[in-house]
Amino acid sequence: MKLRIETLAEVTYVIPEGRLDFDAAPDFQEAMERLLGGGTTQLPAVIIDGAGLEYASSAGLRAILLAARAAQRAGILFGLCALQPAVREVFDLSGFSRIIAVHADRATALARARQGRP
Amino acid sequence: MAASPILLQPRLAGRIGTRTRAFAQMLVEGRGPYARAFESLILALIVLSVASIGLESIPGLPGWAIHALRVSEIVIVAVFTFEYLLRIIAARNGFAFIFSYQGLVDLLAIAPFYLIGFDARWLRALRLLRLLRILKLQTHVLERVVEQRTRELAEKNAALEKAQAQLKAELEVARSLQLAILPAAFPVRSGCQGAARMIPATTMGGDFYDYIELPDARVGLVIADVSGHGVPAAFFMAVARTNLRELAVRHVDPGECLAQTNDALCAQNPLDLFVTVFYCILDPKTGVLHYANAGHNLPYVRRAAGPVESLDGAAGLVLGAMPRVGYPTHTLQLLRGDRLVLYTDGVTEAFNPSHELYGAHRLVDEVRVHGGGTPGALIERICQSVTDFAGSEPQSDDIALTVVTWGEP
Repeated sequence: MKLRIETLAEVTYVIPEGRLDFDAAPDFQEAMERLLGGGTTQLPAVIIDGAGLEYASSAGLRAILLAARAAQRAGILFGLCALQPAVREVFDLSGFSRIIAVHADRATALARARQGRP
Repeated sequence: MAASPILLQPRLAGRIGTRTRAFAQMLVEGRGPYARAFESLILALIVLSVASIGLESIPGLPGWAIHALRVSEIVIVAVFTFEYLLRIIAARNGFAFIFSYQGLVDLLAIAPFYLIGFDARWLRALRLLRLLRILKLQTHVLERVVEQRTRELAEKNAALEKAQAQLKAELEVARSLQLAILPAAFPVRSGCQGAARMIPATTMGGDFYDYIELPDARVGLVIADVSGHGVPAAFFMAVARTNLRELAVRHVDPGECLAQTNDALCAQNPLDLFVTVFYCILDPKTGVLHYANAGHNLPYVRRAAGPVESLDGAAGLVLGAMPRVGYPTHTLQLLRGDRLVLYTDGVTEAFNPSHELYGAHRLVDEVRVHGGGTPGALIERICQSVTDFAGSEPQSDDIALTVVTWGEP
């Protein structure tokens, strides 16, 4: 899995590409901890753009859950957007879409971030 | 000092005390800090001595500078002589040293000064050749260091291999224990048959199945998948299973049981793991199935005639992620000859070498076409199908399967 991070307007987008599975989860987790746990830069919102995310295993879901918790602790709005149908299904099935905001696309995510709610 | 060291040597050889020799050896042949400092001093003096030739040739040098150069010349020769004597004393065979290449060069660098007061600093330039010798020495030392490191590495590798073998053996024991705590046989109930299988992807897995014997001959069926795999998942699996078994006896409602288990797991979850659980209670007398789902893949029902349906009902949140959440309980009336197929995503998310998913449709096909026999036979069939599909691609996730039939004699 590849991971890109870009900041546009007031939102930092995390863009994973490929499979977020057992092997990829530790790197993803570390990158998210660096991004969310540093406490040096106050990011208003962090959104995972899932357009390139092909697959998320349970280990991948756990990494996303940990990121969501870290964001909550740091007072950063956190969510996902543009999930592929298969990943969206995993999110719905696991109940994660009830505790982590999932947006249709970047525009929706940005609008929510501007309103200051996830 | 002025006497030729060559003449001193034969008598010295017999008389020199072992302590003097040890001192000499320590200074000119040793590898310690004193030897290195002494070596550096000699090298610096060689360079200084050669440089002074250049300095002296500058015309119109002030008198004090010429004087300083003369003094330095005497000091340098004195130190070189001292070193020369040390080398003779340190050598096992003094004569051999004197007539060695280095010995002759060293002597040539100082002898003219004593014999004829001849300014022989240009001869001393020959001593620069010692730099080459030092380079050679360093290569030698380097080779020995490499040899030693190689040997140490081999020893460490052997130790590592031993430790690894021990760890592997312990993990194998843990694996057997883990598989052993899963129930081997479905409880005996008339009209009901069941079989299950768990295949960890690594030595230890996070998937599990369970049969829980409940009051009034009812049977609790569990299929679950802990996030990740390996030892942490295996521990969490054990904790989850124990909690669920304990709470299942106290709560007749599957949704309530999952809610209680979730709260218990959230309170003892240092690694932030979670587990997806499908839990149902089957009444073998009536074929009524009550079930609740915590983020797990919904099981399939294979009807007696062949069609395969997914159970329905909204799933609740996985267990261990957040406390105090609810899990709705659903009910299904089984018909005679129905089969329940509970599975984990290690089945449907098995990959082949072209990175294609096995997928739910392949599982459904297997269940429809081959589901008419015993539960054990269907499980064998599904496992074989997944293995064939995956081919050379290693199993990336744990697999657990449970099949239960109802209403057949």
